[in-house]
Amino acid sequence: MTLVAMGLFAAVLTVALEATGPGHTERVGDIPLLVVPRTSGFSVPVIALQSTMKFFLPLAVAVFAGESVAADAAWGTMRYALARPISRTRYLISKLVVASVLSLLAVVLMSLVGLAVGTAAFGWHAFAAADGSTSTVVHAVATFAPAASLARITLATLYVAAGMTSIFAFAFLLSTLTTRPFVAVAGGVGLTLLSRVFNGDYLPGVAVLNRYMPNNDIDLWDHLFQTPAQTAGMVHFLLLQVVYVVVFLGLAWWWFLRKDVLV
Amino acid sequence: MTNPKPDQAQNPPQNPAPSQPPVLIEGLAKRLGRDVLAVDGLDLRVEKGQVMGLAGPNGAGKSVTLRILLGLVRPDSGRVEVFGERVHAGAKVLGRVGALVDGPGFVPHLSGMVNLRLAWRMTGRPETDADLERALEIAGLGRAIDRPYKSYSHGMRYRLGLAQALMGKPDLLVLDEPTTGLDPAHVVEIRKAIEAASQHGATVLFSSHQLAEVQRICSHAAIMRDGKLVMSGQVTDLVGEHASLEAAYLAAVEDGNTHQEGEIAGTHSQGDGSP
Repeated sequence: MTLVAMGLFAAVLTVALEATGPGHTERVGDIPLLVVPRTSGFSVPVIALQSTMKFFLPLAVAVFAGESVAADAAWGTMRYALARPISRTRYLISKLVVASVLSLLAVVLMSLVGLAVGTAAFGWHAFAAADGSTSTVVHAVATFAPAASLARITLATLYVAAGMTSIFAFAFLLSTLTTRPFVAVAGGVGLTLLSRVFNGDYLPGVAVLNRYMPNNDIDLWDHLFQTPAQTAGMVHFLLLQVVYVVVFLGLAWWWFLRKDVLV
Repeated sequence: MTNPKPDQAQNPPQNPAPSQPPVLIEGLAKRLGRDVLAVDGLDLRVEKGQVMGLAGPNGAGKSVTLRILLGLVRPDSGRVEVFGERVHAGAKVLGRVGALVDGPGFVPHLSGMVNLRLAWRMTGRPETDADLERALEIAGLGRAIDRPYKSYSHGMRYRLGLAQALMGKPDLLVLDEPTTGLDPAHVVEIRKAIEAASQHGATVLFSSHQLAEVQRICSHAAIMRDGKLVMSGQVTDLVGEHASLEAAYLAAVEDGNTHQEGEIAGTHSQGDGSP
């Protein structure tokens, strides 16, 4: 259901862009990257990713991860699975794999459907992005051939997917702790929102934490559309994800192996 | 993970080699939280072929004991063996155990049939090992087996749960309060299923807070209170001159004589094991 909604979003977005008059620009990310929607099909996945990466995609990922173990506990199926000759590690890994695949699908689907309907609506043309960081009056225009655009969209999608892993791992950890899936899902979304709150733009006093919050730098993929692409911040963010994932999943595994299954 | 064939279970060899008891619990203790000593030094032995009722009031420690037996809860101390193998989470011997613990547990939006197949896949055993026909017979759901589980009545859910527990032709059947909340007709069905499982050679250990039910169904009983074993043995021995098992239990508790309780607890029967 969630995946269908994700796919529909990109389709609806295209219709909305089609209805938008020519010359309109969409601001994407922190540069800001200004996209002219109707000039190329590649504009749709760019805008789709930008508009979903900070809430809807984290929500979908939190649903898949948060429900994975907790729903099993709520339904009572977990105790029957664990009363079998199956190691808890194996059980946890199988839950992890399924939730990971669904989460990855959610992100990929967003770009893929966006690209498909965008191409159908606006064509397979070079993608022109106006780099708004250089001037607020006259934008430097970077143009990417379709192949280069496709490569950058692919990298951007993978970056966003990787950027969801800290939220995913936190919701998964909560899922092993609670028997209420809603709590785990809300926890994942809560961490996303908390990440926003600890943003230097809103709370200057905590600006130092900005770069270490799990979700703040997820919009840095727009740097891929600069010439040349600026990837230093992206690499830092991806390494941060690895740290969060190792900590959260490590805790989940440690706890699950010791957990008394009383429900 | 080997299961004896039904004919072997019904007709044991004339000179069987010494076999390990289906259930052996020694000095089991489990604390839940800081203050609750759920199981306190429990010793229990269930012999092959017995239908053992684990009885006692709510909070006696029955459910926790059964969960430890299934590897769901880690004991603080003590020894728990099933067919001679130490039990822990994911222990291989759990493949010989069928269980219905704390009610049935299935995926609500899937049909009864899909749920049964899914549950079987979790055992890791080949589909040919599954006695699906017998399971469907026990479930007795007819066409409803293809309906979503969430549309089932309470009784239908329990029957499906029992079917799942019996599907693998278990050598040990562990049932936790299997008749709680069921109407009399369904209680009779559950009883019949327990008797049938016993006749097929399975050892049965089931918990209940209703001593009358234990007396009616079981060949043997172990009664717990405050995490300790109060009395255990063959049901007929435990009842003795009392009017019922409940009367015998109340008399033992009212006496409050730990020595006497110890004697009663020591009346464990090593009988032929037939229910």
